[in-house]
Amino acid sequence: MEYSSKQSQEKRRGFIDPRTKLALILILALFVMGGLGGEQMQPLKMILSALPFALLLAEKQWTRFFRGVCILVCGYALLWIMPYLPAVLSYFALFCGGILTRFVVTIMMGEYVIATTSVSEFISAMEKLCMPQQVTIPLSVMFRLFPTIGAEWKSIRRAMRMRGIHLGGAKAGQVVEYQMVPMMTSSVRIGEELSASALTRGLGAPVKRTNICRIGFRAQDYLMLVGCLFVVCAWILEMCGVRLW
Amino acid sequence: MNEDKKLNGRDLINIGIYGAIYFVILFAVAMLGMIPIFLPLLSVFVPILGGIPFMLFLTRVKNPGMIFVFAMIMGILMLLTGMGPWPLLTCAAAGLLAELVLKSGDYRDAKKAVLSYGLFSMWIFGNYLPLFTDYEGYFAQRADYGQAYIDAVQKLMPLWMAPVLLIACFVCGIIGGLLGRALLKKHFEKAGLV
Repeated sequence: MEYSSKQSQEKRRGFIDPRTKLALILILALFVMGGLGGEQMQPLKMILSALPFALLLAEKQWTRFFRGVCILVCGYALLWIMPYLPAVLSYFALFCGGILTRFVVTIMMGEYVIATTSVSEFISAMEKLCMPQQVTIPLSVMFRLFPTIGAEWKSIRRAMRMRGIHLGGAKAGQVVEYQMVPMMTSSVRIGEELSASALTRGLGAPVKRTNICRIGFRAQDYLMLVGCLFVVCAWILEMCGVRLW
Repeated sequence: MNEDKKLNGRDLINIGIYGAIYFVILFAVAMLGMIPIFLPLLSVFVPILGGIPFMLFLTRVKNPGMIFVFAMIMGILMLLTGMGPWPLLTCAAAGLLAELVLKSGDYRDAKKAVLSYGLFSMWIFGNYLPLFTDYEGYFAQRADYGQAYIDAVQKLMPLWMAPVLLIACFVCGIIGGLLGRALLKKHFEKAGLV
């Protein structure tokens, strides 16, 4: 590992600044997932929905990009064939399609942020935003742990399936106890090791931490931030009843 | 001793660890909410299943403020995952109440821990608030889910469901707390995690 060299830091630097990522998540969460805004916002929402995919491409996250596209295609295919299906199945197709097309954007954005932001980048971005430690530390620990917990849960599910303990299996009733308890036990263990290592490296110490990773706004960041501002302005104008297009 | 009574780095990391476990469970369960019948039932499942990590979390709580911070982190995550700003408000209120109850037991009382989790669970009600405060608008936004979905949800969620859901959150929170404690005794103490 040659993290200490300035050049490799520059190479590892993400396409956009963590703070821009945060702003984008917020905008996506409010407008695409939360469904703020009416008719006039529709074209903007389409552009916003395409954004995570573009960012994944820009960061060369091919597998994630193709997984997202697959989910999206499945979702739209389900919605498209829905009218031709018998009643019960079409209901089912509608829900699956609805889930897939609605959630995929936010899931992709989340995946993008978690995959491309290192914990130190996240912390230094939060510090620049003057967030208190009480928010920064738990959130950074959480972002670090989500993929770990997911992986743990997957392997525990596999192990329990071998013993016939899974939803729809013979011992479905034991699922909660026999999947969640080991999942939590191992997650807590991992978390404790993580916490020991983080404390050793001075997380939560009363002094100001320094950081080697480089963050800062560049042209693409300003572009995205202006875009976010534009979306918010468009929404406010719509609320005031101004017709934009 | 005065130094120990403040939130330190270790406490904050613990909040992160248990918050992550809680959130993963919450997220897995919340996916079910897309099916209309499960939407009101979320206020049953989430508190009961979330009780397990939360009771484990309470065994680590020694300093004032931890539950409040935990609740606020949940609020921020809800904001980031598109539930709107309402959960932030309910999180602040529920977190504060839970904190006060547990503090009155000096962070040791097991009965108050269960009660505290019941109060904490009431934040989940914040996720339903957009539905009840703007009944028409909520369904207008979800028009693309199809009429069948809207009809089903409207039948399941009349306005009088609001207080019922709030109480359901609390009651199921108590049940979840008891379940969490039972599992704590059965498994986690044996594993040396408590």
